[in-house]
Formats: sequence, structure tokens, C-alpha cells
Amino acid sequence: MTSAVRMTGIVKRFPGVVANDGVDVDIRAGEVHALLGENGAGKSTLSNILTGLYRPDEGTVEIDGRAMQFSSPRDALDAGIGMVHQHFRLVSTFTVAENVVLGESDSPFMMDQSRVAQQVEELSNRYGLAVDPSARIWQLSVGEQQRVEIVKVLYRGAKVLILDEPTAVLTPIEADALFKTLRAMVAEGRTVIFISHKLDEVMKVSDRVTVLRGGKTVGTVETVNTNTRELASLMVGRSVEFNRVARSIPADVSQTVLSLRGVSARDDRGRDALHDISLTVGRGEIVGVAGVAGNGQRELAEAISGMRALSSGHIDVAGEQVQSGRARSAIAKGIAHIPEDRLHTGLASSHSVEDNLALKNYRSSSLSKFRVLRRKAIRAQATDLVQNYDVKTPDTVTPVRLLSGGNVQKVLLAREFSSLPKVLIAASPTRGLDVGAIETVRARLVEAAERGVGILLISEDLDEIMSLADRIVVMYEGRLVDEVAAESADRERLGLTMGGSTVSGGAR
Amino acid sequence: MKSPVRFERRLEQPKWLNWAIPVVSLITALVLGAIVLLATGKNPLDVYSRIFERGFAGKRALSGSIKTATPLAFTGLCAAIAFRMGLINIGGEGQFYMGAVGATWAGLVFGGDLPPGAVVIVMALSGMVCGGLYAAIVGVLRAKFNTNEIITSLMMNYLAAIFLNYLIYNSTSYWRDPESRNFPAGKPIPDRADWNFYEVGGIKIPLSFLIAILAAAAIWVLYKRTRFGFEVGVIADSPKAARYAGIRTTSTIVIVLALSGALAGLGGAADVGNFRGLLDSKGLQMSGYGYTGIVVAALARLNPISTVVVAVLIGGLTNAGFALQGPDFPSGLVGTLQGLILFTAVAGEVLVKYRIRRNRQAAAVLA
Amino acid sequence: MLSKTRGSLGLALVAALGIGLVACGGDDESSEPAATKAPAASEAPAGSDAPAGTDAPAQGATLANFTPWSADAPVIDCRPEEGPLKAAWIYVGPTNDGGWTQQHDVSRQAVQDHFGGAVETTYKENVPEGPQVLQTIEDLIADGNTVIFGTSFGFQDAFVEAAEAHPDVCFEFATGFKGSDNLSQFYGAAEDTDFLAGMAAGAASATGKLGMVASFPIGEVLRGVNAWTMGARMMNPDSTVNVVWVNSWFDPPNERKAAEALIAEGVDVLGQKGIDSPATGDAAKAAGVPWAGYNADQSANYGDVWLTATAYDWSIYQIPRLQAILDGAWVAGNYYGNLSDGFVTLASFGDLVSEETRAAIAAELEKLTATPGSQFTGPINDNKGNEVLAAGVSHTFEELMSMAYLIEGVIGDIPAS
Repeated sequence: MTSAVRMTGIVKRFPGVVANDGVDVDIRAGEVHALLGENGAGKSTLSNILTGLYRPDEGTVEIDGRAMQFSSPRDALDAGIGMVHQHFRLVSTFTVAENVVLGESDSPFMMDQSRVAQQVEELSNRYGLAVDPSARIWQLSVGEQQRVEIVKVLYRGAKVLILDEPTAVLTPIEADALFKTLRAMVAEGRTVIFISHKLDEVMKVSDRVTVLRGGKTVGTVETVNTNTRELASLMVGRSVEFNRVARSIPADVSQTVLSLRGVSARDDRGRDALHDISLTVGRGEIVGVAGVAGNGQRELAEAISGMRALSSGHIDVAGEQVQSGRARSAIAKGIAHIPEDRLHTGLASSHSVEDNLALKNYRSSSLSKFRVLRRKAIRAQATDLVQNYDVKTPDTVTPVRLLSGGNVQKVLLAREFSSLPKVLIAASPTRGLDVGAIETVRARLVEAAERGVGILLISEDLDEIMSLADRIVVMYEGRLVDEVAAESADRERLGLTMGGSTVSGGAR
Repeated sequence: MKSPVRFERRLEQPKWLNWAIPVVSLITALVLGAIVLLATGKNPLDVYSRIFERGFAGKRALSGSIKTATPLAFTGLCAAIAFRMGLINIGGEGQFYMGAVGATWAGLVFGGDLPPGAVVIVMALSGMVCGGLYAAIVGVLRAKFNTNEIITSLMMNYLAAIFLNYLIYNSTSYWRDPESRNFPAGKPIPDRADWNFYEVGGIKIPLSFLIAILAAAAIWVLYKRTRFGFEVGVIADSPKAARYAGIRTTSTIVIVLALSGALAGLGGAADVGNFRGLLDSKGLQMSGYGYTGIVVAALARLNPISTVVVAVLIGGLTNAGFALQGPDFPSGLVGTLQGLILFTAVAGEVLVKYRIRRNRQAAAVLA
Repeated sequence: MLSKTRGSLGLALVAALGIGLVACGGDDESSEPAATKAPAASEAPAGSDAPAGTDAPAQGATLANFTPWSADAPVIDCRPEEGPLKAAWIYVGPTNDGGWTQQHDVSRQAVQDHFGGAVETTYKENVPEGPQVLQTIEDLIADGNTVIFGTSFGFQDAFVEAAEAHPDVCFEFATGFKGSDNLSQFYGAAEDTDFLAGMAAGAASATGKLGMVASFPIGEVLRGVNAWTMGARMMNPDSTVNVVWVNSWFDPPNERKAAEALIAEGVDVLGQKGIDSPATGDAAKAAGVPWAGYNADQSANYGDVWLTATAYDWSIYQIPRLQAILDGAWVAGNYYGNLSDGFVTLASFGDLVSEETRAAIAAELEKLTATPGSQFTGPINDNKGNEVLAAGVSHTFEELMSMAYLIEGVIGDIPAS
């Protein structure tokens, strides 16, 4: 069988890091080839080299048996390699068709709308990528936007498609549809490189899997000859167990650390997003909030952390009321918050690691005096936390946006846990992280609970909630519709209530 | 048809570009300028040596450049301080006018009584307050109603111009010289309200230029070393992260715009105290300091210290431009030369971030 | 300052930001007459001779309409030690503004042509009022210029300061009122030609509704507006003149808008006063409305609608003055030119001006040449119904210079004074 892409001995160094350290990959024409690895294993660097964004320091890239040197994404595209990025690059006020032709260097000044629309439609029909060419991007769901990205790449004639963590933003149903599309594409002779750290999907969609670890190739296996357990141990270098985490110190629900009484709040567009929510979290208790995204979880987290004003109700921490819509008050009362959008809400991503670690306590007397920052103290704090939380960064002045996903989350955790909070709001704290990082985050959460922190764990990942929480509440359309003890939780029932079906006797 | 070249974002910005690009930009500007000059029958070497001589060489030239630079330093700082927070304050022009109005008032009221040093302080403060409050309106509109500050600040420039005209031409205001019934003019401030010039090594330096340097240093400290500067940086980076961290975004927006306007207003005070000695409605509107200040700030990459340096460069270039022109050297040609120099400087900035590539098919390398 | 920068880098950057350039200023004209400041020549001892020590007569004696500041004003010798006399003009606007500055530069070239190699002229254009002026003067002096002409009222204080700092340089200033031993003032009676242009305008109006775009409601402009209106009503007795103030000397877009607004209100003839550019003429041309211009003869460019205009010939003053320097006989003083010496002239007539009107104008021109300012003879009422001049009474020169009313027939107000 011929190789569509063969990369041999790829080395790419960045200041302080070797991202790829002799990677070999051989991708056959007409297959779905998964690149599996933890965050920071070198998958993204490798795909950036293949798409011409980076030039490798060593090693060769062959396309259809010919050695190539790309010096820009354009070169790669000309060679038939297209990338579907995790973060979409679409202009939201343009139509689908306009986005598809946008950036074509030889696109005519006046575009022939109907011809493009026809081609877009043709492509979408052929691969099951249902999308309306005349719709504007802002009208589309995330899944539809991803389809536009794929159509864009196909429109430019890509023979090899690289998809970077494509399911991270998709619902399970959308993900299944995507897999079908990928199969249809390989059936037509195109080649798909599927970058992921999710074992199940890799098993489901790929023909072969290349596992990367620490910038090196661990090996390539036929998917039919392996299983998730084997892949997981290849990926992390040891065997991994997913079980319910046992805690050495149980929760003390007699002491309430967080209490919400009749909390209502509006979303950014002024519509009611939270309706009369009452909830308590005890000392050392982990309360899981399950629900399909968009049912008020973000607003709930923001309301508690003071980022969103309440339209009615009260929030107390250890008996003291938090001022509505005052993040500073929430921080002072001991509420820590790991937001879902780490890079833009939880962190100021162009700022350095040390600034981000001081983001919430720069006002304290240890870090500033007479309103002047004590830079040395800020650096010392950062040096300590980087060490204690094992953040992999060249130094404390590196901007956090240059860190890998797992290390970004570690910076966030370091700051939030080190503030010795009474309450922690954790929103999808493991989303997008690799197995190793997930383990670390979970262990830190459990550790915090054992120290007596009351944790509200908001997540779409039922497995995560069921393995960590003491108690689970379900959110649907801004209301808490069900509450169960985690031990007796039943997936099916949770699934039903999350979908809006009522369960007799459960709702509160 | 494909264009022969294209721009691509640089993924890595090598350090050497930081000095290489400005040097290459300057050489490019000089070469392009030389072509234009040769085409119009001028000797480029003569012209360049004259630009240098009249802009920068010698005490008189430097004195002049610093004088021309002073208002630009203030409006440059005004733009830089706001742009750094992502607030595009185009209103330096109007804030400068309002500062001049405030400082003239203070000079007229207190110039006769207070000791000279105190008059300077009162005028400076009054200019800052007027410019600051005027900009704060833009800030409040932005912070409370999310109005686009580019548009509001620009509109308020026109308002300020109308206000100046009203004070001097269309009313018998306190600012208008009652002696000037026939031709309306501003009332001159008393001599003791005039700001000093200092002679340093033969170079005449206006007091207000020294104030500009101090202001630049203060802004640098404010932004680099203080809690407030930290907060501004976080808001500029991500307003959401700022809200998350408990930073008061709305008040910070208002304060930064007020500070920005206060700097322009201080420039207006300097204009009255150090240079014109009266509220000169027409002269101010002709000068366009506020708009040029935006260019100064942009060329200085919003660094306050560089802003003062760039202001002096632009000041020298401006003076040299006036020195060059004449019957056989039209001001259009002067403008072309100045434009080339600034254009290549800005283009150079672009080249730090982007590279130009020739458009051809990917080169297949035969292994 | 930095008007250059606005024009050039402004092109690249500032303008790119969508900022309309603030229009560069224009002609700033005089206010108080020099005569009120300086002792009139008549006060000088009768028969007193030229300053001692020179054989050449002091110039007041040879140049009509020129009066030295005082009888004992010293002769300033600003001749160079060697080479030609270098003279420089400083303009507030561009030399191609189609009006004020352009007319000044035409005069400069006439001066150059007249003297040939004996005088070397240069100029600086687009110099904004403010600190840049003094700097430009200093620069010109450093380049060896010993005569400096200023052409914008807003330059005056800088000229006073420079004259003090350089007592051996001759300063000549148009449209101001401050003088010193080496600083002269010059301007002229545009109100006379404005009156004649108004006659052409009045005769051209069928409806009797005329419109005027004017700069600032100040003495010199009010004088022109009133004279123009008076001329119009002489030919068209019940006609009215609608005035719009644009509060600028040079702002072509606004001038044009004002003119269009007047046309929309129904005026059928347009005029302008104190306005540097021919933008009013552009509006008139577009609407096919007859137009009387200002500053310069624009008959070639606006043939279809052109009536006539007040035009200046600054060289009438400048040539004898430079000659005086070359002769070592220059003294500072005040000059107010008029029709008789050709400092102000009426531009050529357009085809719209009938032979009959031309004849009527010629008759008035003769009177005004003989007695400048005589059109302002009573009875004259202002437009509020108050009597300004009783029958047979004329304005004194001082009253003319400080005029502060609008004459009967003008529709409009003086905003505040």
C-alpha cells in the first residue's frame, strides 16, 4: 500500500522545549489514521509541520513519495494537505459560501455566489455535511461551523485532511455524524489524519493508530488489533484505571459552606437563565451538577463567583453573604472558580505565568504595597507554585498561551487551590485534557475536598461526575430538576432528566 | 490571476528583526526618497544633509525640534495610554482644546496674583482636569452603554472645535480679548503666567517638554509597576478574565480615558503657557496635534518613553520640512518625502509581524 | 505646526483613520486701522524732511497711501553685504488655494520678475498659526533672508516678536495693525471693489434674493458684506442678501454646503467675502447660478456663472517697498491701498454682466477711485431699522475700519460681539 504521507525523524525544538524528538509516522492513502497522545505529546507540533506552519529542524516529509519542504500553509495546501483546526477560522458575519472562498489567493474580486453555492452543496451532499451555503456563520451551531471548515478544506482540493481534536466541541450525536463523514471521505480515496486523546473515538473511527508520547513515536498499531486499555497504557506509559475515587476523609454535610437560596439570574442577552435555584454544599462535599451544556451551568458558575449579578436570591459562603455581581466579594469570601473557558476567562492568556498566578491576589499586602506591585514577591510566589503544581514552563515570564492545555489548567489550579478557598466551583475541569492531566486534576479535587473545601463540580461528563461527586443535581433549562446520591445514581435516570423528562418524586 | 507576492504571518519573530527592520526601513526610505528627488532634479545628498541639519544638527535645530515636539509628546502619550488598554481614543485633538480652554482660564484668573510657580501648577492642573473630564464623557459612554469610543471621541473633537469658535468668535466670553472687537482673538494671559524655557547646553527646552518627559516616566511606572497598571493590562488582554479576577472594568475604562484626556489637556495647557499665551481657536484647529499624536504613539509602539523620542523625531522632520520647501521645492514634494519615511517605518512594523513571500508552487525538493 | 505632517503622513495614516483634515486657515484680515495706532502723517511737523543722514527721501513721500509710523521713524538698512536682496513670504495656506494665498504668490512672482537678479524671493506655504511661525521666520533669517512678508492675521504676534529680536531685518505684514521700527502693515480698500461687484450681482438677480457666504462677522468682512449689499440694492432696489457665516477662512467643503443651502432657499445670485477658496463658485456652477467671487479673477474657470470680483495686486505695494530697501530708504509704516493705485481692482466681467450694468459700474468706479469709501455716505440704516448715518454724512476712516453693523437689506445677524 502506498504512503500518502511519510514523516521520518522529525525534530522540532522551541526555546526550552523539544516538541518533536524524532517522530516517524507513515500514513497510508485512503485510511483514517489516528494520532493519539497526551496534551504536550507533540501532536499539534507535528500537524503544524505537516501543514507548513512550522519548519522541522530535522527530518523529512514525503507526500506521495516525494520529499517536500513547506514554508507556508499555502505550500501544504498546494500539495493537497488541509487542516481543520480546533478553533474555527470563520468570519461570523459572512455566509458559508463566502467563508469557503475567503482567503483563496486567486479568488476573483467579484465572486460568483451561485456557482460557489452549488459547489458547496455538492460537497456537502457527497459527504453528508449538511450545511446551507447561504446561511451566515453566526446563525450556525458549533457542529455546523465545523462542517463549514471541512467543506472549506475540501473545496480547496485537499487530499489529506487533518482534524485536530474535532470532537471536543461536538455533542455525541454530532460526533457520530462526523465519523460517518470521515468514513465517506476515505471511501473516496481521501486520507484522514485524526488527532485525539480520546480512546473511545479513536477505537471507533480509525484504521490505524500512531501513539506519541513526550515528542517521540511510541508505535503504530492496527485498530482492530488493539483496545482502549492498551492504547491508554501506550499513551501514558503505564496502565490507567477509571474508577470511582475513594476519599479518606468523608464530607461533613452538617457544616454548610455554600448555600444558594432562590437564586435567579439572566444571561448575556437579558433572558432568564437561572430560575429560583436553591442548593447547599457541605464542608468537604463534592456536588456534581449534571446537564447538557447551555442549560444555565455557565450562568450558575458565574453567579456564584460574582461575575454575574443576581436578579433575585442570596448566596452565602460559610454564613456570610456574597455581594451580588461582585467578583471581588466572592474572592474575599473564599470562593475559588475554575471556569470552563480557561484561556480567556480563567487566565489572561497573553500575560505571563507569574502574572496569572497573581491574578487574584495581586491586591494582597504580600504582593503589593501602597498600590505598587512587589514584583519579586510575585515571582517568588510563581516559582513556588510552578514547582508545587508541576507546571511545565520554560520560566515564569512565559505567556500562558504558549503552554500546553494541561499546563494551562495546572496554572489555573495552582492559583485557585493555593488561595485556600472554602468553596470551589469547577466547570468542566478536565475537558480537553489528556489522561495524565485528568488524573492530576481529579486527584487535586479530591485532595481539596479532603481538606474541607466544598466543591461544586459542573460537568457534562457523567463519568466524571459519577466517579467524583457525593451528590448529583441535574440542571435543565435553568432549573435544578433532580437530585440523587452519587452511589445510587443511575445513568439512565440522569440521562432522562438531563433531557428534560421528569422523574417522579425526584424534582425539587 | 495570482498576485506575485503575498503576506504571511510570521510564526516566530526573530529578535534581530527588532533592530534590523528599522534600519532597513530607514535605508529603504532614503533610497526611495532619493529616486523621487533625482526624478525632480534635486541632489538627494544635499536634501538629506539639509533635513538632518535643520531637523537635528546643532543647538538651534534641536531647540526647534523639541519645541515642535512638545505638544505631540502630550497627544502621543494621550493616544498611547488609551491604546494600550485597547481603547481607541481619537479624541486627543478635542481634549487638547479643552485643556487649552481650562489652562487659559486659570492663567487669566490667577496669573496676576499667584507666584509664577503656582500659576504654572494651577494652569497645568486646570488643563488636565478639563481634558480629563472631556475624555471621561467618552469613557462613561463606553463603560455604561458600550458606545464605540472611536466614534464618540471623534465626534467630540468637532464639538470642541465648535466650542472654541464660540468662545472666541461668536460670544463675548471670558477667553476673548475685549480689545479685539474688530478681529476676535483670545485674551493674552499675564506675563507671569508664561511658562519658562531652560537652556541646557545651549539647547532651549520648554518647561512643558520636561513635564512631558516626567509624564512619560510616570506612565511607564504606572503601567509597569502598579496595581492599576496590572489591572489595565489584564483588561486589555481579556475583559472577561478581568471581571473574573474582580477587576472593576467600568471604572478602569473611565479612569484610563480620563488620564488619556488629562495628558492631552496638559498638552493644551503647555500650548497656552509655553507657546501661544492665549486661547488661539484657529491656530489650534490648524495644528491638528491630536491626530498627529496618534501617529506618534503608533510609531512608538505605545511605549511612553519612545513616544517622547518619536515626537522629537517627528518634530525635527516637520521643521526640516518647512526648511526645505520654497519656490523650487514645493510642499507637496516635502510631504512626499515625509510620507515615504513614515510609510516605510510603518511598513517595517508590519514586516516584524509578517513576511512577504513570492507566490509560486511549493518547491519540491529532490532528495 | 505639523500641518505638513497632516498633509503627508496624514495622508498615509491619519486620513486613513477617516479623520477629516481640519481645514488650513486663510486670510486673516485687519482689524484696527493702523491710523488709530500710529500718529497720522499730518501730525508730523509740516515740511519735516526725510530722516537725517540719508539723501534718499523716506518713502512716505513717494508711495501713495503709505504713512510712516512717525516722522522720525528710523531708516532700516536690511541690504545684504553681498549678493541679491533675499525676501521671503510666509503663507498660511497652499499656493494653489484658488484665492488668497494664490494671489499673494502671483504677486511674489511679479516682484521677482520685476527685480530679476537683484532680489531673490522664496516662500513657505501651509504654515499653521502658532509656534511654527516664529520658527519659520528664524529659519528664513538663518538662510540669509532680510525681508519677511507675512500674509495671515494670525502670524502677527510672531512677527512682532521676530521684529524685536532682529532689528536689522525688514518685516512687512499684511492685514494686521501692530507696528514697530522694522515692522510695517499693508492692506487695502476691498470694500470699494466689493461695492462694484455687488452692483453686478444685484443686476443679475431676477428674484431680488441674493446670497453671500462669509467667513467671520468681523469689521473687515462686515464692511465687505455691507458694501456688496449696497451695490446690489443700487441696481435692484428691493433686493435682499442672505448671509451665512462659516467661521473659517478656508474650508471648501463647508463653504460649498453653505452655498448650496442658500441656493435651496431660493437665492438666484451668490457672492462671498473673506472666503479664500472658490468653493462657492463650484456650487454656483453646479446650479447655474451667477456668482461674484473674491480675491482673484476666476473668469477663465467659471465662465458660465462668472460676474466679477474684488482682486488684489499686492505687488503694487511690494515693488516700491523693496526698491526702497535697495535704495537704503526703507522706513516702517502703514499702507492702505485702493482703486487709485491699483492695489484693489475689479476683475474682468463675465458675459452675464450687461453693457448697461458695466456702464453703471464704470461710473461708480470713477467716483470710488477719486474718493475711496464714499459709498458709505448717509442716509444709511442698519437691518434692525436704526439709523447709522444721517443724510450726507460719511464714515470716518476709523469708523469704516471698526464697522460693527449689518446694513438694511442684509438678512442675517452678527452672532455676538
